[in-house]
Amino acid sequence: MTDVLDSAHATGVSFDLTDEQRMIVQHVRDYCRAEIAPLAAQHDRTGEFPRAQLRGLGELGLLGATIPEQWGGAGLDSVTYALCLEEIAAADASVAVIVSVQNGLPEQMLLRYGTDEQKARFLRPLASGQRIGAFCLTESHAGSDAASLRMRAERDGDDWVLTGQKAWITSGGQADTYLVMARTGGPGARGVTCFVVENGTPGLSFGKPEEKMGLHAAHTTTVGFDGVRVPDAQRVGAEGEGLVVALSSLDAGRVGIAMQALGIARAAYEHAARYALEREQFGRPIAEHQAVSFKIANMAARIEAARLVALKAAWLKDQGRRYSKEASIAKLLASDAAVEVTRDAIQVFGGNGYSREYPVERLYRDAKVTEIYEGTSEVQQMVIARQVFGEFRG
Amino acid sequence: MKILTLIRQVPDAEARVRVTNGAVDLEGATLVMDGMDEYGVEQALRLREGGADAEIVALAVGPRRNEDALRTALAMGADRAVHVETDAVLDPISLSKVVARIAQTEGIDLVLVGGQQADWDSQALGAATAERLGWPQLTWTNGLQVQDGALTGRHDVDEGNETFTATLPAVVTTQQGLNEPRYPTLPNIMKAKKKELRKDTLDQYGVTPLVRVVGAEIQARARMNRVIDGKDPQAAAAQLLELLRNEAKVIA
Ligand SMILES: Cc1cc2nc3c(=O)[nH]c(=O)nc-3n(C[C@H](O)[C@H](O)[C@H](O)COP(=O)(O)OP(=O)(O)OC[C@H]3O[C@@H](n4cnc5c(N)ncnc54)[C@H](O)[C@@H]3O)c2cc1C
Repeated sequence: MTDVLDSAHATGVSFDLTDEQRMIVQHVRDYCRAEIAPLAAQHDRTGEFPRAQLRGLGELGLLGATIPEQWGGAGLDSVTYALCLEEIAAADASVAVIVSVQNGLPEQMLLRYGTDEQKARFLRPLASGQRIGAFCLTESHAGSDAASLRMRAERDGDDWVLTGQKAWITSGGQADTYLVMARTGGPGARGVTCFVVENGTPGLSFGKPEEKMGLHAAHTTTVGFDGVRVPDAQRVGAEGEGLVVALSSLDAGRVGIAMQALGIARAAYEHAARYALEREQFGRPIAEHQAVSFKIANMAARIEAARLVALKAAWLKDQGRRYSKEASIAKLLASDAAVEVTRDAIQVFGGNGYSREYPVERLYRDAKVTEIYEGTSEVQQMVIARQVFGEFRG
Repeated sequence: MKILTLIRQVPDAEARVRVTNGAVDLEGATLVMDGMDEYGVEQALRLREGGADAEIVALAVGPRRNEDALRTALAMGADRAVHVETDAVLDPISLSKVVARIAQTEGIDLVLVGGQQADWDSQALGAATAERLGWPQLTWTNGLQVQDGALTGRHDVDEGNETFTATLPAVVTTQQGLNEPRYPTLPNIMKAKKKELRKDTLDQYGVTPLVRVVGAEIQARARMNRVIDGKDPQAAAAQLLELLRNEAKVIA
């Protein structure tokens, strides 16, 4: 609700972090600065998958941040996790998207819809950071319109046989555990079921990593299913419930991408502000030229505004309230801010900004995709509009 | 056995330091546990993980904000913490009086302190504490084990590196290379909040600073802000040599 009298606004507002939150964010920041940021440019160039960084984050607990300790996670609240994700993204956006997918999608789906046996077998190794997870919804002809997916799963005795191809799968080939949406019934949203497929299952194959504009260290591939056989025990949720399972986690995923976008934006903003104070033209630091200083001011404003909405969405989640609209607003504003802030950061750097010797061109390339995946900006606007008119129609 | 590890809090290496009213002003600066002390906490944890049945007590003497550094030690795995809270700036000799007293009252077997402090750079605390207690001290260690109630290890001396054994109780000073301190895990950070953090006052120890700081200045070095283009390493080296020789005149 955008009405301030709604209860989500009316609680005593506090913007203070708790002592634990502050400590956690400080430690994660220190960790990311020391272990992740120094390799970001190199991984962007080589496209090396950041295994060591993920292992380290897993040891800290960040590959299962909000999963209860019972299932191998760190048991954090969503607000703290969101702040951690910003820190990771400020260091390396590729690492952040892998972490965000793992925490936000496969793990949330297993936590909500998995049986205890599935949680023990699949969730615990993901949450404790021993395995990497992937989310397989998109197909080459089914992107924004996910309900039009065609990949089939046919029942065969106690097994299911999966046939088809997924596209644009983050951590494809690198991940151990794949949550796959396949059609088990008729057309439309109700004909889809979710399965867990482990890497190494016969019939599973991967394309070579896409040559992307950015996020080079986060591999994205097609995933092929050629008669992949899984037992019914690897079905997650009820038959026909697959899209509900997949989309239920999208809100959490969107807050994750919002924080990723914010981390990228913040990194660019910090670089730009420092550079503006150092670089001199016409006899003074360019920070003293108003056109430059207004750019920096605008960056600060955009980041601050988007972060508030994203943290509010995370907070609503922690309260067990609906936060679909806020998650979409957060993703819309944060990704938009990330693209604008990184673009302006290049402008502040001038010619140097266009050079690979400086980090801002990478940040710009990394930022753009936040307007595309986990629902394009247009899809977020559709989600927001649907809810707004729902409210007005009553 | 009981291990006491002393924690100091220092500005982050990237922090900007200001001087206000003749004193160093850390307002707004990011403060972290002194790296030297991280080696101490880590070594205490490793001694325990190596089989020593040890209780690890972290100690800080300083202002309220030191709690953060103590919580970090607790999050890394220390069992409990003692904070002697004071805004007084203590010289190492005064500080050693507090450390020695706590070592005695707590029945400590091993005191771990940083070989040198990242901020004031004093190397006196370990030695002064050992002197007060009449315990052996091993400085600049880069290896440390406990076996059958005795210490063994390696440390740097002027002539090179020595292997030693020593009886407990003892004072050991740490240095870079002793170990690779761990990062606290997120669940352990949350649990650290529930561990005991005892508050003492400086009065309880009858200690007053022997040295008073009356003024401070920041050492400013004028920079030439010259950057040598490194694309061609040979040309860059030649240019550097030429600058060192003819401009800075530091080589002939
Ligand atoms: C780097 C990367 C990683 C990804 N990782 C994953 C992953 O791990 N798992 C996964 O399942 N998918 C993943 N995706 C896929 C991603 O979610 C889709 O790309 C996204 O949903 C958009 O789908 P599309 O690319 O088919 O674009 P399309 O749906 O074809 O959209 C093209 C354009 O049309 C617009 N559009 C479409 N429909 C409408 C409408 N009704 N109204 C207004 N505008 C509309 C879109 O907003 C967009 O601008 C990833 C994509 C990328 C680029």
